[in-house]
Formats: sequence, C-alpha cells, structure tokens
Amino acid sequence: MKKVVIPLAIILLMTAPWIVSGPFFVHLMIMVLMWTVLGASWNILGGFTGQVSFGHSTFLGAGAYTTMILYLNLGVAPWYGIPIGGLVAALIALPIGFICFRLRGPYFALSTLAVAEIIRLVALNWESLTNGPVGLLITTLPEVTFWGRSIDWESKTPFYYIIAVIALAAIVATYIMSRTRLGAYLLAIREDIDSAEAIGINTVQARVAALSLSAFFAGVAGGFYAMYLRYIDPDAVFSIALSVEMVFIAVVGGLTTVAGPLIGAIVLVTFGETFRELFLVGHLIFYGLMMMIVIRYLPEGIWGKLRLWFGTRP
Amino acid sequence: MDTFIQSIVSGILTGSLYAMIGVGLTVIFGVMRIINMAHGDMVMLGMYGAFLAPTFLRIDPFLSIVIWIPIAFIVGVLLYRFLLKNIVPAGELNTLLYTAGLSLFIANLVLLIGTGDYRTIKLKYAIMPLRPFGIAVPIPLAIAFGMAILITVALYWFLVRTDTGRAIRATSQEPEAAALMGVNVDRMAIITFALGTALACGAGVLLAPSLYLYPTVGEILVAKCFVIVVLGGLGSVPGAIAGGLLLGLVESLGAVYVSVPYKDAIGFVIFLLVLLFRPSGLFGVGKS
Repeated sequence: MKKVVIPLAIILLMTAPWIVSGPFFVHLMIMVLMWTVLGASWNILGGFTGQVSFGHSTFLGAGAYTTMILYLNLGVAPWYGIPIGGLVAALIALPIGFICFRLRGPYFALSTLAVAEIIRLVALNWESLTNGPVGLLITTLPEVTFWGRSIDWESKTPFYYIIAVIALAAIVATYIMSRTRLGAYLLAIREDIDSAEAIGINTVQARVAALSLSAFFAGVAGGFYAMYLRYIDPDAVFSIALSVEMVFIAVVGGLTTVAGPLIGAIVLVTFGETFRELFLVGHLIFYGLMMMIVIRYLPEGIWGKLRLWFGTRP
Repeated sequence: MDTFIQSIVSGILTGSLYAMIGVGLTVIFGVMRIINMAHGDMVMLGMYGAFLAPTFLRIDPFLSIVIWIPIAFIVGVLLYRFLLKNIVPAGELNTLLYTAGLSLFIANLVLLIGTGDYRTIKLKYAIMPLRPFGIAVPIPLAIAFGMAILITVALYWFLVRTDTGRAIRATSQEPEAAALMGVNVDRMAIITFALGTALACGAGVLLAPSLYLYPTVGEILVAKCFVIVVLGGLGSVPGAIAGGLLLGLVESLGAVYVSVPYKDAIGFVIFLLVLLFRPSGLFGVGKS
C-alpha cells in the first residue's frame, strides 16, 4: 500500500495548483504546508524526544529576521537567505539547548517560554538591527528566470512550489532521522531519560542535536514566511501564540509520527484560515477545542489513531 | 532618593497583585500538580468582569469583586469537575498541553464575542494620584493593594486555621498519607482549583483599572505567574507572596535603573537563573 500512497501523494502535492484554483485555495495550501514544516519541526523535539517546548517561535523569528535582514541590507537573495536563516536558527538553538536541557519535563517547557519572551523583547528593542516594533517590509523580490520564463512573484503559485519542496524535505528528514542511531537515542530519552543516561547515551548532546535539527526547519519556515508575507515585526514572528500553534499542530496530528504534522496542519489550518476569512478574529478557537478533545480522547493524535486502524508502520 | 522610594512603593503595590495571582497558581500546582496555562485567562476574565460591571451591574468596578469571586469559584468547580479531573492522571505534560488548549479556547472566545480592541476603565474618583509624603500613589492601585492584602490574609488564615485549609495543605504535602488520614483528596482538589480560579479572577478585577485590557492579555500574565511561583518555589504559598512582591520590585526598580524596554526581560532572566541554580525556589521551601 505504501508503495502506491507515497508516490501518489507526491504527484498530488506537485500538481495541486492546477487541480484547485482561486487565490484563496492556493493561499490555504501554502499555509497548510508552512505549518506542516513548523509542526514537523516541533515534532522532532516534542514528539521524538518528548521535550515540550513553548518557545519555538524563537527559531521561526530568527529565520525570518535573518532572511529579511540579509536581503534588505546585503542584497542576499532569499533562496540563499532562507537556508542561511535555518542555519542561524540551528546555531541559536545550541546555547539555548545547553541551558534549558538542564531542566526536565514541565520545567523545560517553562524555561523555553522564558527564553522566547526574552528574545522577543530583544528583537523589539534592538532597533538598529530589527527596526523595532515598526518591523521590516520588502516591496519587490528579485527577478528570476526559470526555464526561460521569468517568475511572477505576484502570483502565489511559485511560493506554493517553494514551500512544497521545503515541506517534503522536512518530512523526509524526519523519516531519515527516525531510522538513524540518533532517532533511537531520542526515543530512548523520551521513554525514560534516566535509563537512557544509564546505558551510556549522552542525553544532553542528543537532545541538543534534536533541537538544532528542529530549529533549522523552524528557521527555514520563518524565512519563507517573511518572503511570502513580505512583512515581519517582533510580535508577529516571536509571539507565544505561534509557538503554541506549532505544539497544537504536532499534537493534534500525532506525536512521533512522520505524517502527523501534515495531517494536523490540514485539519487545523484549513479550519483556522476558513474561519479567519469568515470572522476575521478568533480563528484559534478551534485549535484550543481540538487540543482539548485530542488530549482527552485521542492522545496518540489523529494520524496516530488512523495508523493503528490501518495497521501500518509510520 | 525620591525616585528610589517612589519605585519601591509602586513595586510593592503591583507586587501585591502579582502575589495574589501567584498564590492561586501555586495552590493549584501544590495539590494537583497541574501547571495551569489557563490561569492568565482567568485573570483576563476577571478584568473584563470589572470592565462590564458599571454598564451591566451599575456598580463600581472594584465593588464587583464580591460578585465575580463567587462566580469564578463556581466556574472553577465546574471546570475541574467536567474538564480537568479526567486529565490529571495522564501526567503533568498532558495537563500542561490541555490547559494550553483551554487557554487558547477562552481567549479566542472572548475575542469572538467582544473585539480585540484595547480597553481601559476610567474611574471618576481616580484621576489625580494621592501624594502622601510627596510620593505619587495612583488611587486605583492603592485600592487594589488594600483589597489584595485583605484577600491574601483571609486566604492565609483559611489555609492555616481551618480544618479544610489544613486538609488542603496536607494533600499538597503528601496526597497518599493525607488520604490515609481520612482526607477526601478529590474534594480538596475541587476546592483548591476553584479557590485558585477565584483568586485569579479577583486579581483580574483589581488589576483592571490599572492596565490595558485585551483578550490575549492572559498570555503575558501567565508567563509572569510562572516567574512568580518559581521564584518562591512551586507549591509554596508564602513563596508565591514573596515572589510576587519581588517581581513587582524588580520590574519597577529595573524600569528606573536598568531600562524601561527591558524591564519585563529582567524578570525572565531571574526566572531562568533560579530554575537553573535553585530549582526549589529562592527561599528553598517549594518542591522541585
């Protein structure tokens, strides 16, 4: 079954803009895929390693600001800027990891919340670098030709393909990671950190590695976010609400599964964005509700449950 | 010197309200091991309660506390009985995630019903600050301070002197031993959660005239709550009172002597340092 489903899903992913049309649907699919990347990023740490972070917006924001500042100040094109943004986020994750991983469970979660707030305040007040609360704005993206045709940045389709590739990379990376030695270490840490330590796993190093990988994808998604919306400010990219949304997508989709974040993003973002179109505010109400239902009745998440029914591996 | 005394005074005034919110969070954690991410939203609901009081109840925002505290107590009982009770056995992290969901739900419900506008409460009698000994004391904050002290002292008396209070403290220290001594642990959990919710809501009513109110104000408040309770040691009531006063002082002194934009960051830095080096709290009374 898997041999059919995966190629089919990839073909569907690549042809989707031709199947459905209308700017809202393309926008919706872009948001779904962007949140898939963010959910997958959080899942690497929160799902596979069992470390609940409430501060992942730090990495999203770091990626977004890096890409934006490189483009505005040094003229570095976004396709270099976005991966560099990911790398900067991964670098920032190192000191944060070495500090916060001295704590466990809920205390780790609270410490990431504090770090994220500190970084948000720094971004808000370091005006020479970030332009403070006014934010950064780009008006034009550089001219690119692709197979002899120049890309039209006013249409949403090019953005769709960029984020589709990033989302695919995030899912593949999760899959590969889950098959490596590191993946096994992380699962051992999630199940019982003391036993993991006792059998000789360097738990701090393994967790920091997971955090960096996770931060890389959050940073890449952040860079994409900046280029797609063309405007960022500290409250938009460093907010606690963004971190919480990532948690919800990963948990609702199914922790420790490869496809969970995609399912979580499809369910939550589709509803959220449609709700936003209709009522403008309060689109996160469904996120909160789904979270409560999932924790209460479906702790393995939507995809986790479906997977049990189909009896397939992740 | 004047600025120093001025910032100490305003630090203690704000700190008393922080203490009240922190005490609510800490008793809930102590008895049930719930890290209640929705605590800030209870404060937010209290703030909106005070905001609505003059129009709908035709009473002063501060007086409305006598109505909102009992209502919040009942809401707390219902929340615990129908939502949280089944989640608590699933562990601290699941409760954390569940209450985060609850928090998002409440904040967005308020956003949908009302709007996201920033609102303020204007009190006719509170335009000019009092000036005892040349120190400016805003009237709304002074009234809130007095009421917060009254409520906190009453709560302290309840926890130390009454049988129910003793049972709550016993459950917090050692639930199994308390159950063996004939304490109804389940009932204590309901009472404690309702008490914590009522305290948060009451603090919200008192804070409302001194702050901007908007539906997602709980996000920032809940982060501050955690700073407070961790400073004092999670689960410790005197610790939370001290932590609240300390955070109030740190913020007001930090705004004067360090920098206004970074005053909120100082609290978080201290929070991280305490978590890392003294996880049982500054006073070493809490449990880690």
